[in-house]
Amino acid sequence: MSAVALPRQSSVQRGLVDAYNATRRYLIRGKRQPDIIFGSVLFPVIFVVLFGYVFGSSISVPGGNYHSYLMSGLFAQSTLFASSQVAVAVATDMNEGVIDRFKTLPIARSSILIGRSVSTIVLGLPALGVMILCALAVGWRPENGIFDAILGFLLIELFAFALSWLGILAGLIAKSSQAADVISSIPVFLLGFVSNVFVDTSKMPVWLRDFADWNPVSAVVAAGRNLFGNTIGPPPSGVWSLEHPEITTIGLALIIIVVFIPICVRRYSRTSR
Amino acid sequence: MGSLMTDFAISAQHLARSFGETRALVDVSLDIPAGSVCALLGRNGAGKTTTVRILTTLLDPDGGHAQVAGFDIASQADRVRERIGVTGQTATMDELLTGHENLEIIGRFSHLGAAVSGQRADELLEQFDLVDAGTMLVKKYSGGMRRRLDLAASLIANPEVLFLDEPTTGLDPVARSEMWAAIRNLVARGTTVLLTTQYLDEADQLADTIVVVDRGLVVAEGTPEQLKASIGRPSVVVTLVDADQAALEKVRAALGTDAVIRGRSVSAPAADGLETLAAVVTRLEELGVPVHEVGLEHPSLDEVFSTVTHRLGDHSPDAPAAVPA
Ligand SMILES: Nc1ncnc2c1ncn2[C@@H]1O[C@H](COP(=O)(O)OP(=O)(O)OP(=O)(O)O)[C@@H](O)[C@H]1O
Ligand SMILES: [Mg+2]
Repeated sequence: MSAVALPRQSSVQRGLVDAYNATRRYLIRGKRQPDIIFGSVLFPVIFVVLFGYVFGSSISVPGGNYHSYLMSGLFAQSTLFASSQVAVAVATDMNEGVIDRFKTLPIARSSILIGRSVSTIVLGLPALGVMILCALAVGWRPENGIFDAILGFLLIELFAFALSWLGILAGLIAKSSQAADVISSIPVFLLGFVSNVFVDTSKMPVWLRDFADWNPVSAVVAAGRNLFGNTIGPPPSGVWSLEHPEITTIGLALIIIVVFIPICVRRYSRTSR
Repeated sequence: MGSLMTDFAISAQHLARSFGETRALVDVSLDIPAGSVCALLGRNGAGKTTTVRILTTLLDPDGGHAQVAGFDIASQADRVRERIGVTGQTATMDELLTGHENLEIIGRFSHLGAAVSGQRADELLEQFDLVDAGTMLVKKYSGGMRRRLDLAASLIANPEVLFLDEPTTGLDPVARSEMWAAIRNLVARGTTVLLTTQYLDEADQLADTIVVVDRGLVVAEGTPEQLKASIGRPSVVVTLVDADQAALEKVRAALGTDAVIRGRSVSAPAADGLETLAAVVTRLEELGVPVHEVGLEHPSLDEVFSTVTHRLGDHSPDAPAAVPA
């Protein structure tokens, strides 16, 4: 009567299997909540219409098409909203008994969180697909060809993956899902709106412009615009992150991943301790 | 059954744990032999759940040590986790998954592999009479079905040591006796069980040893018989057909000076247990009053506690237990 039925695997192998199983669980749960998927699909459609037509008709960008200009911004911004949703979901999770049961099982401590983060990316794909269709409908085109466009989306998804860990941390720290919503919404709105997502930063007041230029979200948006071929004019001079937006995005994502995954896992292990 | 370093499946020395100002556990030590059932008996807030959470690696103690299935809960937590099953006080099943999916995922997390996990899920659904519910989302389950699924989930990897935190609270009498049967069945197969309960009769029915905790301290322990004997003698209770005052007085006079009338019943200490009962029945026949029922009543949990706390207040743990009035 032994508890262990499988031949011993290495701990890395086991960790991968645990993470796979945790992801699978979140995907099954995700499928059972069509209202959430529906909402996540509807949201970007509303944004494209709202900003593209309602505001877009009175915003002009020098020498370019505003819809094309806007889309990278909306792609990048949706990753911010997704990370805020992760925060709320994780805070909700942690108040449920099922996490306690998982903690009494011999699984890698990281697996549940990895499952949460990977499933967030996967469950966000329908929304991304719909957003791309909307973008194509309003006239956005990947001007540099399909290969660069795919690279652009990979970059944005890498950033989304990294951000999801910040969302997870907010969810682990928050005492309730409402608190997680508040904690995560403030940076999301600040970083999402004080940026080059909707407008060219050059017309902003200086103090705001500095913040917007150095805002990492602006770099992600700029990287997208470069790869999609929607860039208008040269980057503001002296802002390294906008002069090298692809490297900035990848570097930043990797730093967040390397630093915050261990922090999240440690925090998860001692929640309730 | 693994390499047990001691004969104890669970062994805890001086566990302590505070939450801010609240001293949930002050000093709890346990030694539970492999293959036996121990009931942790205590009121709300006594520290039962805290003890279980520490022993199942969910909570770190502030002080003390413990070994479960031969492994240290602090330094060998994963070894412990491979060998235990836990059913917590609150539901731990995923509402958005079916019963089968819930069991299967726990099997996978116990590293049984996909095939074995599915097979064990089927077996357990069968065993706990949940076959039809297996394909239903847990959110549609009744409280009793959830409880059974929770127990099934903790058995998926055939644990050596099983922790059950108030396994029958909230169950109807039928479901409760089914749960008892399921627990007995496990014990028959050699599983060590630590269960918590607020009911003396449950501890009495299931446990080899009972540990009474109160305000974070072990205040009494022993076999059910030892405990009951130390806590006070049973009383004999005579219930009449109706509350005829004259008849009640007659019975009271017959039962001795310590007898008291409560409603249409008269109760008196039964110093010699069954012998006292037999004597009372004879006396009643002589009296000829219309009797509805005669029986022995054992001390209730409330009496257990007032006795035990009383004893603590005396600062003399060895003093004989005072029988509560
Ligand atoms: N996470 C926590 N934070 C603060 N206080 C806690 C926490 N967990 C338990 N306590 C306190 O510790 C004490 C013991 O709680 P515990 O849950 O162990 O009792 P219990 O015997 O299981 O009670 P019950 O029969 O109500 O389940 C209580 O006073 C409780 O309020
Ligand atoms: Mg409890």
